[in-house]
Amino acid sequence: MIIRENTRDSVSTITLAGTLDALSAPELQSFSENSALSPNVVLDLSDVDFLDSSGLRVIRGMALKKRESGGDVILACMNDDVRKVFNNTQLVRLFHIYDDLDAAVTYAETNKKSI
Amino acid sequence: MNTTIILPAEMCYLRLATVTAWTAAEIFSNSLNAENGIHDFCHAFKLAVCETFSNSVRHAVHSKEEKNVTIRFSSSNDRLTALVSDSNLPFDPVITLPDIEKYPEGGFGLFLIRQLMDEVVFTRENGMNLVAMTKKLTVEHKQGN
Amino acid sequence: MKTLIVIREKDCQWARAFFPDMHPFLLTICNKPYVEFLVDFSLLSGIRQIRLLSDGPLGEVEEYCENGSRWGAEISYASIQSGDDMQTVLAKNKRFCAEERCMIINGMVFINYGKQADYNAFIAAFPSGEILSCSCGSLMLTGNPSGTRNISPPYPFTLSCFDSPGLYYRLSSDILNDAVSPYVLPGYNNEPLCHIGRNVVIGKSAEIIKPVILGDNVQILGGAVVGPGAIIGSNVIIDRNSSVIHSVVIDHTYIGEQLEVEKKIVSGNMLIEPESGVSLAIEDPHLLTGIRKSGASLSFIQYAVQALAALFILVLLLIPFLFLFPVLKLRGKWMQHNEDCYADISGKILNLSVTAIERGGLFGSIAIFLSLDRFFQLFRVLAGQIAIIGSTPLRVSPENREHLKRMPGYRPGVFSYAEAEAWPVDHDDKAIIERFYTAHSALFQDILMTVKAFVNRIHEKSTP
Repeated sequence: MIIRENTRDSVSTITLAGTLDALSAPELQSFSENSALSPNVVLDLSDVDFLDSSGLRVIRGMALKKRESGGDVILACMNDDVRKVFNNTQLVRLFHIYDDLDAAVTYAETNKKSI
Repeated sequence: MNTTIILPAEMCYLRLATVTAWTAAEIFSNSLNAENGIHDFCHAFKLAVCETFSNSVRHAVHSKEEKNVTIRFSSSNDRLTALVSDSNLPFDPVITLPDIEKYPEGGFGLFLIRQLMDEVVFTRENGMNLVAMTKKLTVEHKQGN
Repeated sequence: MKTLIVIREKDCQWARAFFPDMHPFLLTICNKPYVEFLVDFSLLSGIRQIRLLSDGPLGEVEEYCENGSRWGAEISYASIQSGDDMQTVLAKNKRFCAEERCMIINGMVFINYGKQADYNAFIAAFPSGEILSCSCGSLMLTGNPSGTRNISPPYPFTLSCFDSPGLYYRLSSDILNDAVSPYVLPGYNNEPLCHIGRNVVIGKSAEIIKPVILGDNVQILGGAVVGPGAIIGSNVIIDRNSSVIHSVVIDHTYIGEQLEVEKKIVSGNMLIEPESGVSLAIEDPHLLTGIRKSGASLSFIQYAVQALAALFILVLLLIPFLFLFPVLKLRGKWMQHNEDCYADISGKILNLSVTAIERGGLFGSIAIFLSLDRFFQLFRVLAGQIAIIGSTPLRVSPENREHLKRMPGYRPGVFSYAEAEAWPVDHDDKAIIERFYTAHSALFQDILMTVKAFVNRIHEKSTP
């Protein structure tokens, strides 16, 4: 799993690539715990080809933690397989999901101002 | 199809298990000359095996001896079954959707398997935990058939 | 161009209340799911790429529509949050909508169009903004039109609200009564005002009067009168001497004997008065007497006959069981676990052991052939806990608790009526045939059905 982070318009964007399963989920977990991220984080999933419940759990954990401090995790560009995992577990209800990275960053930017 | 793969109960073998599951489902789909729904079918098996295998590994870490996870794929007509067995301590499968907004984590895995598969049986036999997961591949016949 | 179809949970709450078994997107109007009308309209407007959006679950819709290739469309799905305004919805689908014009169908609305028409030029030339609106939603366009043409009303299609059973009923009968239907409707249609689905069985003395639409797997028994003005969904049984006139019967419904249904919508066990929206659960005596009497409690004689039958099968299977059980068990092909199931309609819980025998191999095949997987359950019949033949045991879960409420004659059995009939496969279909037989259950017929179930299971398992 490749995890890259950059900050644009004071919004942290985490770009993931590869498989997010029980093997790689701990990487994302420790990455999110050890990085200084903006309150609103955009998770770019365009290159995630597979997601299992462990990955889901980490993403959900990140979102719940961000929400405690008024932020959020916004999801961008998930493929159909990944979307189905979110759908099947009804976790779609928990997230703002964008099909475009720029739109997600813009949302994270404006949403931050309203906090 | 009747194929068995035995892997050490370690997380680093997870991808080997999932690739095998995908491939087994693909071979099965091809043998039925299926045209539609192959991708979803293969993904369902990959995900289901991923969940069960990682579950087995997680429960195996507490033991001192080396453990294996056995995955057997068998087919009958239009159904494919993945039978995942391990020699861990017995566990009690709880399959309810966990509260998506509250903290205590987990529970999604088994819930997903139930959603993806047509038939799931958990059982314990001769000191082994068995999970049998079956899914039917609907092959659409041309009209007039 | 692209089409966005945005229907929120709040828009379709009414449909969930009146038609709990159908996803609102799939609510059938003259047996054609609502979403298909919208897809057709999009295709007539020359738009193939369609995205369905909702803040509720879309799993069932996705299962039904898949990627849309069957209609020559490309359908995708996405989720929104209930608080999102249209601007946010568009932002969330920016990539989909980018660079192209977008037609937005917002809210649960019905578009009245004609199948022969071609709206391509009209839509392409219409300026961006709202085309039509009503109190439940609107039809909009984004992006710049190609060319400049003055377009003035009346437009070639109209928009109407779709937010009550009354409107649903009127819409259905308008479509049904139109001799030159503007829509493509499912079923065989070689004369006007009459569409008939596949696998329809009509009893000898039954009467069918046009205009009428019958779905797939419909059984109309002797003496029944269907029509004029009847829309019968798929997997429906209309029992002896009943009449269905100017009414809509939704999929998976059983209409009992000697019932008169006139100007009503029947959805599951709900009878809806279209104009007032008043609904009543049909559990009243004239409909379900049969079910009442044979349901929940078994009389002693019934118990005795059931127990005898179970005992008979047990003795019959004992020798093969003693031989095959250890063999299969040793090979890991006999899997067993316990499951909590509902014991009766009150929601009492019964712990049943469920056996799965792995298919394949000589011994496995023989075991399945002999229904050995039901062996242990037969003892439960002796204990009077379950019937020898009845409904498929329902696993305990919140969804099944809801199903149970709509299954007045539920009585778990070792074998199920659905197996005996070897007819329907999915859950709802099972429910309807089981409801039919619980209504008609009689002692010796039960025994006959048990034999049938036994034989049919063999058949089901030995043919591909």
